[in-house]
Amino acid sequence: MAAVCAASRVLTKRVLSSKALPAACAGSARNFHFSIYGQKDSAKVSSDISTQYPVVDHEFDAVVVGAGGAGLRAAFGLSEAGFNTACVTKLFPTRSHTVAAQGGINAALGNMEEDDWRWHFYDTVKGSDWLGDQDAIHYMTEQAPAAVVELENFGMPFSRTEDGRIYQRAFGGQSLKFGKGGQAHRCCCVADRTGHSLLHTLYGRSLRYDTSYFVEYFALDLLMEDGECRGVIALCMEDGSIHRFRAKNTVIATGGYGRTYFSCTSAHTSTGDGNAMVTRAGLPCQDLEFVQFHPTGIYGAGCLITEGCRGEGGILINSEGERFMERYAPNAKDLASRDVVSRSMTIEIREGRGVGPEKDHVYLQLHHLPPQQLATRLPGISETAMIFAGVDVTKEPIPVLPTVHYNMGGIPTNYKGQVITYKDGEDKVVPGLYACGEAGCASVHGANRLGANSLLDLVVFGRACALTIADICTPGEKLPPLKPNAGEESVANLDKMRYANGSTRTSEIRLNMQKTMQSHAAVFRTGSVLKEGCEKMDAIYQTMNDIKTFDRGIVWNTDLVETLELQNLMLNAVQTIHSAEARKESRGAHAREDFKDRMDEFDYSKPLQGQERKPFDQHWRKHTLSYVDPKTGKVTLEYRPVIDNSLSEEDCSAIPPAIRSY
Amino acid sequence: MFSALAASRLVSGLCRVPWRQAAAGTLSVRGYRGDSPEDSGRDLIEIPLPPWQEKTGEPLDIKRRRLLYESRKRGMLENCILLSLFAKQYLNTMTEAQLQQYDKLINEPSNDWDIYYWATEAQPTPPDYQGEVMDMLQEFTKNREQEQRLRAPDLEYLDVAKQ
Repeated sequence: MAAVCAASRVLTKRVLSSKALPAACAGSARNFHFSIYGQKDSAKVSSDISTQYPVVDHEFDAVVVGAGGAGLRAAFGLSEAGFNTACVTKLFPTRSHTVAAQGGINAALGNMEEDDWRWHFYDTVKGSDWLGDQDAIHYMTEQAPAAVVELENFGMPFSRTEDGRIYQRAFGGQSLKFGKGGQAHRCCCVADRTGHSLLHTLYGRSLRYDTSYFVEYFALDLLMEDGECRGVIALCMEDGSIHRFRAKNTVIATGGYGRTYFSCTSAHTSTGDGNAMVTRAGLPCQDLEFVQFHPTGIYGAGCLITEGCRGEGGILINSEGERFMERYAPNAKDLASRDVVSRSMTIEIREGRGVGPEKDHVYLQLHHLPPQQLATRLPGISETAMIFAGVDVTKEPIPVLPTVHYNMGGIPTNYKGQVITYKDGEDKVVPGLYACGEAGCASVHGANRLGANSLLDLVVFGRACALTIADICTPGEKLPPLKPNAGEESVANLDKMRYANGSTRTSEIRLNMQKTMQSHAAVFRTGSVLKEGCEKMDAIYQTMNDIKTFDRGIVWNTDLVETLELQNLMLNAVQTIHSAEARKESRGAHAREDFKDRMDEFDYSKPLQGQERKPFDQHWRKHTLSYVDPKTGKVTLEYRPVIDNSLSEEDCSAIPPAIRSY
Repeated sequence: MFSALAASRLVSGLCRVPWRQAAAGTLSVRGYRGDSPEDSGRDLIEIPLPPWQEKTGEPLDIKRRRLLYESRKRGMLENCILLSLFAKQYLNTMTEAQLQQYDKLINEPSNDWDIYYWATEAQPTPPDYQGEVMDMLQEFTKNREQEQRLRAPDLEYLDVAKQ
């Protein structure tokens, strides 16, 4: 890690010392001191020196925040197109959470049976419960085969069939012939380390193109002026210096915000930093109430028991020993899509058929499978179950619980990756700002994501961001002006958090938030519980004013970083729960007990003839756009219509809404 | 300057090939593979990343602070839990040599899963990473005390004022 740190620093210095750079940049290499005024209410602990932060200015054609699959793909796409590109990341690229993805990447290559990307399109639209924007889904599924071939050409060693073609495995939610042809085999993989191989390949590839990496830099805020994004401001954790990255184009690829919940499968770094940066910039997040729960996280710890277990014949069992998925999804059974399985599990628990002393989880049984098959096909599972749950999978079932796994919502973009707002009845592009990966919401996943569509999302929309920028900009364009004090508020906030001396610890507030979100905004949602949750979350938001940090250092201050991450999580959490409370219907991953049906513009369970279209404010087939006033924590909600047209009706007919059943 | 950098990248990339091949050879015991054939590990061999280099001249207290951050911020949940708890237990009492070993162990391998498989002894640890610290980590991973290991420990254990 240090190597690339060093390399990036060398590269950075090279950039800064280059004579070819504009005078403004060369001049800024001197240390410019930010003085913080008006935020000295914690001045009693801060000395004069400590409230001063050296600021280093950089100029780039493009800056990418995040170095997971999406960030790397965007960064090297930009570098490849000749843009001078910076990639700012709080983690070394191979430490990104993309590494955890073991499943694979969907593409209708047709290597196992006849396949068509339009069938993949159909499955994705249906999986989204008709909340996905069909132009973006069209774009993603049509591009998928090319994206996989491209990765292969970059050197990603996909597992192969005996005759040498890319091997494709079955995954839940994937069908043939518009849902009528049975299970599709569409998921390409690199054994069980698809995510790692993707990161390794993209990172290795990007090094050919001279992207400047700023590793272990924590991005604080966007630099917004006149409604345009003009770069980001970041903290270098190694020395505590502040870096302003001025850029014509900024791509956010910061991943999800699973850590707003108590039980979650994501790494502790999934803190929704990009979503929060956008929120603080006064821009909306979209559909945050749609949170996918993985049906089978180990009860308590959250460690993922892969869906492959059910692919291999693992079954879910309730306290009566019944294989209950047969009742909920007679065809797909244990291979039904994730929300169907999570919901079924939760119903079993709520109806008193849960297992364990508190009857609050169910079992995943594998021990009916031949031990040989367990050992060869699912070996990692045995260790995980033993280490975190103390269970021998050849003899006992694994205790499992629906656990936060993926955030469908995020920063709203069009299918080109451009961040949008919705004003006066139309989508408006925010100049200079792009988002992709789990942080973005194109929206291809709509109300629910299908397995193995997320790695696809990363590469397709990471690439789309780069292509769009290459389309509308040229390398070396003059940068728009930036106020001399741009980013001052971000540094003031950092300073305030560094010296915060209230009475509630960062970890205390974090746990309060996580437990509240878990008990009030998890799989099953109902009006009274959500309302109470909103009130609790609003109160917890206020406790941020009383936060206490303890580390007053500036070099590698983990306490400070985790506090800044908590601020970010908090913005994600309040938007999630308020959006969920407001959405009075059940759709995809958002299942309300008090509004069990999907509320569309028509009742699609009946013939449409003679029905009158419900007006926009009386149905819920629309995207939530949420805003927060960061000072007060007050959430404001607006709505945006779903895009129901594909990119071309000729190539790919849009799929009209229907009742979703598996 | 850049060509020199590129050259050094290439050379060090080549130097690491033997280790990479060795690593690729041990990829058989892993998580879910479905029916897919063996992992060729070709990307690891053919796409060299810049080699990890130990930080020189880093004061010990700064190294500890860095390693604390890097122990808590992993690519995957399992390592976030294991390494953050391990750091809580051992980081402040590790000797300089142990800190160096630990730094190499958590920062050099490109795949977090590898570290996890070595710590859990699902795969043999390559000779480069064997040693005192790996022994400690493997022992720690066995969780003989059967503690609940649900998440990273609250950082305030470091707050002197609290103690």
